[in-house]
Amino acid sequence: MTRIIDHPVLGKLDDRKKIPFTFDGKVYEAFETETIAAALLANGVRTLRVHEESGTPRGFYCNIGHCMECRVNVNGQANIRACLTVVKENMVVERGKQHPNIVKRMVENL
Amino acid sequence: MNNNEALMICRCEEVTYGRLFATAKEHQCTSRELKLRTRAGMGFCGGRTCRVMVDRIIESIVPNTGEGEIPLKYQPPIRPVTFGTAGEKND
Amino acid sequence: MIDVIVIGAGPAGLAGAITCAEYGLKVTVIDEFVRPGGRLIGQLHQEPSGEWWNGIKESTRMHNEAQKLSVDIRCGVSVYNLEKDKDCWNVHTNIGTLIAPYVLVATGAAEFPIPVPGWTLPGVMSIGAAQVMTNVHRVEVGKKGIIIGANILAFAILNELQIAGINVEHIVLPEKSPLSQKAGEPEEVLKSLLNAAHLAPSPILRLGSRFMRNRGFRKLGMKFYPKSGVKVNGTPLQLRKAALEILGKDQVEGVLTAEIDVNGNVIKGTEKIYEADFVCIAGGLYPLAELTAVAGCPFQYVPELGGHVPLHSEKMETPLEGLFVAGNITGIESGKIAMAQGTTAGISIAKHAGKGSTDINKKLEQALKNVHAVRQNAAIQFNPEIANGRRKIYELWEDLYGKEQDSLKEIG
Repeated sequence: MTRIIDHPVLGKLDDRKKIPFTFDGKVYEAFETETIAAALLANGVRTLRVHEESGTPRGFYCNIGHCMECRVNVNGQANIRACLTVVKENMVVERGKQHPNIVKRMVENL
Repeated sequence: MNNNEALMICRCEEVTYGRLFATAKEHQCTSRELKLRTRAGMGFCGGRTCRVMVDRIIESIVPNTGEGEIPLKYQPPIRPVTFGTAGEKND
Repeated sequence: MIDVIVIGAGPAGLAGAITCAEYGLKVTVIDEFVRPGGRLIGQLHQEPSGEWWNGIKESTRMHNEAQKLSVDIRCGVSVYNLEKDKDCWNVHTNIGTLIAPYVLVATGAAEFPIPVPGWTLPGVMSIGAAQVMTNVHRVEVGKKGIIIGANILAFAILNELQIAGINVEHIVLPEKSPLSQKAGEPEEVLKSLLNAAHLAPSPILRLGSRFMRNRGFRKLGMKFYPKSGVKVNGTPLQLRKAALEILGKDQVEGVLTAEIDVNGNVIKGTEKIYEADFVCIAGGLYPLAELTAVAGCPFQYVPELGGHVPLHSEKMETPLEGLFVAGNITGIESGKIAMAQGTTAGISIAKHAGKGSTDINKKLEQALKNVHAVRQNAAIQFNPEIANGRRKIYELWEDLYGKEQDSLKEIG
């Protein structure tokens, strides 16, 4: 997705510094002050995690920190909301993964 | 009519309309009991996204349930918090 | 030593903070978003006068005013609990616990969705999310989109998306069900849109809306409503179409729709798939009052205000000493009302704190009158019943607590 640099009413965005960061091992470029969710969307990435049980892909839904769908792993810290976190230089972001449920497997195999 | 059996109502706990409908019908319960039986509203977002829908399902199934009766309760912490933060001594 | 902690740096919170600071109180404002302004910074629309309501400009103005008054504004702060400890309120956050005798909870509203099969796919977002991504983050939400849900909020944001050059190809209704209720019924939807008819972009829609106020004409209008919809600045509003399912493997690829009759029932055999890479769901807004709930504040369900609201007076007090509210948490209305309420709350807090001179009661009365004046001049009314809703909650407060205050006055 492109960024809306020029807007007929809100005006032109000031030039911002470019910041590199990684998501799932791949390097992307963000602009200073962008949130992780916005920067990834600008790079065409919508899937931020998979559901912990079912593994279905999820992206941001509310974009303001209420729905908790956009939670990612940032520099080793889990459950960080991508829509509320500004990208910092060389930030290491990883998508939330599906968790193996050992007890469930055991019960299913009984 | 539509088949909403598999429609996800609670995104966090992946509770479907079918499951909520059947549970509410069987137990003729309040929103709170429905939450306790199905986990809808007990996920990461604290019911922020699904609570209005859970209430509407109860209103449509349990007779004499007025709008807005006995809403889902809020329990702290209402934002994710690490053990470190919660366990800190604030003297 | 902080005097007032304001939770929420939106129009209500900032206005409250500015007012408290003007009365000499030490104020700290906290907000979990990345920058101050709340949902105001996403708003952009033209008033009937032709003037632009630019949320970013309004918010920047308030931010600067607050900073000049030495208000401490901290973003990226999430509050997870709020509790009273003797005479002080403890605000538990991710940066530690803040303590003050007065707290103004101005946390605004949250959106409730109308679930549609497939709505968990990446690319499906709330209508508010699209507003924030477009006007605040300035990132395209997609190349081709569909809005499900035709209400005033959806229209205001559709307009914002169009101004920014985003391609929204259709607005359709959600399928009729106990979940969607009136949102899936064409006639009801048309009725609710008439509140904004005077803002309609074309003279034909404005003229047509005069006839639509009559129920008979409305039913006729719905019967002959064109299948391809009526265009709103290029986007067809399809009141006789419902979204059945959002399709896609790993993200949104399209929406399955069908034609519906005047009552909202699906007409078999009319299924059609529209391609899209983003979908916005427009359900509605409800007061985000969870913090006042954990603080122990009693509630009242008032549908005209948008749902459960914390019990409060017209002066923005709650039954809990030192706890005040302002903005959408008190009932869903506009950013201008939120500002006016914030100012009212600020004066109330100053009065309770013993600040201000003998004319503080007069200032408070002026603030209340100002809220009424702002409401009278509102261009868009999300809810025509809002005045009734306000009256209900204030009358309830008077019934429960008004007499206490009167008898205290007699004694004192």
